[in-house]
Amino acid sequence: MATDIQISIVGSAGDGTIAAGEILRNALAGMGYKVISFDVYPPEIRGFGKCIARMRITTEQAYSLKHKSDVMVSLDDSHAIPHANEVRDCGAVIYEQGSIVRLPEGGHMSAHVGPGQLPYPLPIRELSEKSTGANRSRNIVVLGFIAGLFNLPAEGFRKAIGKKFRNKAAAAEASEAAFKAGLDYAAKTFKLDDVSFGPPVSSVVAGATVEMINGNAAIARGALDAGIDTFFGYPITPATSIMERLANEMPKRGGRLLQTEDEISAISAVVGAGFTGARAATSTSGPGLSLMAEMLGMGVIGEVPGVVFVSQRGGPSTGMPTKTEQSDLHMAVYGGHGDAPRIVIAPTNVDGCYRCAGKAFEMAEAYQTPVIVLIDLYLSNRYETVVFPARPPFEADLNRKPGKQAAGAQYKRYALTEDHVSPRAVPGDKGGMHVVTGLEHNELGRPNDSAELHTAMSRKRHEKLKRALKHPDFTQFKRFGDEGPVDVGVISWGSNFGECLEAMLKVRAEGIRCAAMKVVMLSPFPTEAVAAFMADCQEVLVPELNYQGQFANLLQAHVARPVTRLNRVSGEPMKVEEIIEEIRRLAGSKAAQKAA
Amino acid sequence: MGDIKPVYLEEKLKEVEESGRLDYRSKTLPTWCPGCGYFSIVEAVAASLCELGIPNENAVVVSGIGCSSRFPFFVNTYGMHTLHGRALPVATGVKTANDALTVVAVGGDGDGFAIGGGHVPHAARRNVDMTYLLFDNGIYGLTKGQTSPTSAIGFRTPTSPYENPDRPLNPLLMVLAYGASWVGQAYAGRPDHLNRMITQAMAHRGFSYLHILSPCVTFDKTHRTYQNLGMQVRDLPADHDPSDRAAAMRLAMDDATPALGLYFREERPTLGDALDGLVEKAGGELPGKVAAKPARKAARR
Repeated sequence: MATDIQISIVGSAGDGTIAAGEILRNALAGMGYKVISFDVYPPEIRGFGKCIARMRITTEQAYSLKHKSDVMVSLDDSHAIPHANEVRDCGAVIYEQGSIVRLPEGGHMSAHVGPGQLPYPLPIRELSEKSTGANRSRNIVVLGFIAGLFNLPAEGFRKAIGKKFRNKAAAAEASEAAFKAGLDYAAKTFKLDDVSFGPPVSSVVAGATVEMINGNAAIARGALDAGIDTFFGYPITPATSIMERLANEMPKRGGRLLQTEDEISAISAVVGAGFTGARAATSTSGPGLSLMAEMLGMGVIGEVPGVVFVSQRGGPSTGMPTKTEQSDLHMAVYGGHGDAPRIVIAPTNVDGCYRCAGKAFEMAEAYQTPVIVLIDLYLSNRYETVVFPARPPFEADLNRKPGKQAAGAQYKRYALTEDHVSPRAVPGDKGGMHVVTGLEHNELGRPNDSAELHTAMSRKRHEKLKRALKHPDFTQFKRFGDEGPVDVGVISWGSNFGECLEAMLKVRAEGIRCAAMKVVMLSPFPTEAVAAFMADCQEVLVPELNYQGQFANLLQAHVARPVTRLNRVSGEPMKVEEIIEEIRRLAGSKAAQKAA
Repeated sequence: MGDIKPVYLEEKLKEVEESGRLDYRSKTLPTWCPGCGYFSIVEAVAASLCELGIPNENAVVVSGIGCSSRFPFFVNTYGMHTLHGRALPVATGVKTANDALTVVAVGGDGDGFAIGGGHVPHAARRNVDMTYLLFDNGIYGLTKGQTSPTSAIGFRTPTSPYENPDRPLNPLLMVLAYGASWVGQAYAGRPDHLNRMITQAMAHRGFSYLHILSPCVTFDKTHRTYQNLGMQVRDLPADHDPSDRAAAMRLAMDDATPALGLYFREERPTLGDALDGLVEKAGGELPGKVAAKPARKAARR
């Protein structure tokens, strides 16, 4: 039996909501289920802001969260009540049965459980206090209850709890007791008929490993597996954990990481290290990318390899630091002055984060250019179970070296070649002395602003990138769903593609001919493939998380054809239902036209 | 400044050729105005690289933007002519990627203390093992003579046509406060002393800062001329103890009669040492530091 269950835990900052979610998803992933998870928390560290831990547990691959959960746990009714209607019919609502304070009218969850939903009032606080002497372990009591309710192996939970509190003996002991209290209580309660876990299905080949990991961790792991030498960064939400993880791991491999004074310094040092032959990277979010724009242009004209990981957040200026949005596409692709083409790749899931991060180093080296890996908060913080191959799928060295110089001949750092990539010497190489300059230059790298040279060098910088469209072992784009002509084609990018894929699969089940295409390489743009896809579509829908339709703009700059835009800036992932509705509308109008 | 001896062109040429320092000059001729103090700096740098026997391919000269920042083109080493104000972070990246390189950052007063002023404290406190040569002419020469952060109050330029209302910065004092481990001052009009100071600065292990006073002969006819500077500069007191940072700061505060020489020097771990320490703490293995190896590839997996 296929399993597809979504659980959400809602609480207030300080309730241990996010910690409970972390233990639960680790436990379930450890049992062999596929998990996809995305938490919501407030920008303040302390206080009483709303926290939601959400996860979808499946046996088949899932691509996004569901709009409705099967089970919701409330650790704080004032936050959970507005979400009561997000539990499906025949789903369960688990909440504190008693209250020690007088609540205002309607302040208790019991008044909000819908007629189709199953209420599970528990003495959560009492169980915690009786088992541990404190009410701090309410979140763990709930986990014990879930384990009992669904007959999940307790051992898996105990392992995940042990991992979470491995350095805190007292907390581990209390959690063990609280977990048992919840588990025992579940034995006394009625079971849920409509929601149940089937056995997990394992499809992992020998040698590979499965890990529960979020987008930022996957980026860090990709960078490590690609042999990153140096990293320079400045903390910024939601990219910080990329740097934090690398700070832990890089020294173990002899790598060097430096927290710089600002993002300008970070990208400058990346350019310096890239010039010196190191695999160098930085990570940032939109505000940092804005500061880096000028030095990225230097990387482009100097033809220096370097990698920039960008996790987008919401809004211009400081905007919404803890909300997600896909509104830095223009900045990533076009940002900065002058004709400054760069490679921009945007993974669509956590596995993609790993691959794009590693491949970015290959491309930066092979095409001698800055590469931006563009993700967003939703992907940074989204957990998925990812299968890692036994050997990292990345090349260690793609530098084109100058070889032996003819005696007396001057080394031409920017030699105009057939494929527009020039052999590159790095400091320490005998006879390769040259100056990299931000000025327009001749083949030797000496300043020169003649019309012929600026034309030739501009062509070189643009044309060489086109080879990235055929970079080996990399998915620049991919089509899913129906082959051949379709009623509606959905085309999207980045974190939002999962929702598009779910929507496409759902409407196909309704009999609408539908296909979806993800575009991973945003610059250079895979025009040919995208145009071919769009030629197959009666209607084209472009859903994305920004107001302007930045990807739609990019698309239409390359393929002249009307598209329907679907834009949301709620700071949250798009709802699959909204995409489905739009596909239905487009398919319906097409059907109506045909009938007429 | 001592007895004046006659110099015969042929003898001087022979001496220069035999010294080997011409190997460190590139075939690109400097773009500076005739009489610019920077000519003596490029000569001194070539001579210092030669004296220290640094292979051309192991030296990297990094600059920002400005008259002085054209410098990398005039020496025969690796070089980077970067963005306005960004020489220090780029140079930090170069040195972090390969410890075996001799890294020299060069730039002007505007590049280093206006647009790039935020980077100086951090290069200094981290003790990045590099030399920073600051060419201070108190003016923006490349854009034709505007006010700089070291221009005097009352200085008239196209952007301060009535007069410059801002008091000048004292970079020497700032760098001493930032924690630089080697701080000195020289004057382009004293090329031999300049050469000796650059050699010392390059030989220092850690962040060495050499402040070089130089006139802009084209756009400043009133303040920082050879004539005025020649009268103002003096030597540091013979009894100055360069291990005394407070004494060095007191001397640096007198910017009306700038003193030339070594203000401060200390030995302390460099950024590279600190980063190697992290590798050891983490239980990692240090990659071999071989000059011919471009990066830290030995550390791979």
